[in-house]
Amino acid sequence: MKQLMIIAAIAFLMVACKKEGASDRPGMETIDTTSAVLKYSGSFGSGPYGTARGDAKVYEQSGKLVLVIDNFSVNNGPDLYVYLSREMQPVNFISLGKLRSTSGKQVYDIPGRPDFSQYRFALIHCQQFNHLFGSAELK
Amino acid sequence: MKYSLTILLGISLSVIASAQSTSKFADITGTIGSSQGSISGSYVHNWKLFRKKKWEAGLGARWTSYIGTKVEFITAAPAKHTRSFTAPFLIVFAGQREENFDTLTVQRPFTNSVNISVNLGYNFNKKWYGGFNIDLVGFTFGRKGSGILQSNGTTTNDPGARPPAFNLLLTGDHDYGTLNSEFFVKYAINDRWKVRAVYQFLFVEYTTENVKQQIPEGPLNDRFRNKANNFGAGLSYHFK
Repeated sequence: MKQLMIIAAIAFLMVACKKEGASDRPGMETIDTTSAVLKYSGSFGSGPYGTARGDAKVYEQSGKLVLVIDNFSVNNGPDLYVYLSREMQPVNFISLGKLRSTSGKQVYDIPGRPDFSQYRFALIHCQQFNHLFGSAELK
Repeated sequence: MKYSLTILLGISLSVIASAQSTSKFADITGTIGSSQGSISGSYVHNWKLFRKKKWEAGLGARWTSYIGTKVEFITAAPAKHTRSFTAPFLIVFAGQREENFDTLTVQRPFTNSVNISVNLGYNFNKKWYGGFNIDLVGFTFGRKGSGILQSNGTTTNDPGARPPAFNLLLTGDHDYGTLNSEFFVKYAINDRWKVRAVYQFLFVEYTTENVKQQIPEGPLNDRFRNKANNFGAGLSYHFK
């Protein structure tokens, strides 16, 4: 009985504490910049909980918008996401998905056509703990 | 609400009036579900009923600690906007008005609730016992944290999502707060110690602080509920 209780407690803790970080392999994604039009750009700066640097660029390609982050690095976290946000500390935002890599070049599709006069920030945000790792103001 | 309380009070009084002997025990139970789990401890005072004393009913007090990761909480209230009809008790059979449902994803929910529970059970033989229990009324405290509300095509982050303090069983989406219920079978190792296999249906509620859901043609809503189906095991100690 004692062994059963210990196994159950360990299984519970394993489920409760499961965390997944972004890949440490550098991103190698590309877009065809000869046909893409640069719309907005900015540079990442560090947030209160992370050290981020690199470029954030919004391109329009074949009628679709993408966010390209390049020359990028950030320290890893348990639940990092890429957001377009109205605020530097996200309240109203569009999630572009999980951060795929902590470095290199990555391309994220932007759903719809957000108003970039409102969604002015590209963010690297730890969703689970609500911690900002990095931000870039898009101009 | 009046009907619920009257019926529950009536059941309790009739149980006490017809009782001739008692069964008192303490339980500890752990359950696991999808990205969530709970640990609960309870004390139960049952009265043995009828001539053969195979049936038991009574009251208890239960502490339930619930923890999860990225758990989805669905629009919980008002019931008239979430269910096709709202008659007390019958509401559990009502259809869902999913057009009014939005999702609050609470990143790290953690609640502790203390509730009075009602308990029913049947002694199949000296070794095996089956039963059901459900929380009636109590209070909750827990962690305030980040909740991401997806509502009407927008995504907002509320860092002030928290569990409400008050719990009350009114059946279905009339309920308030965090309420635990269990179906279980219990096997007697000896006269004192018994082991339990448990199916748990656990209602956990969170409210938003800064962002609200605008229910179409309805009010602003800040109440969201997770209905967890968990399985687990427990240990009981029976007092003489």
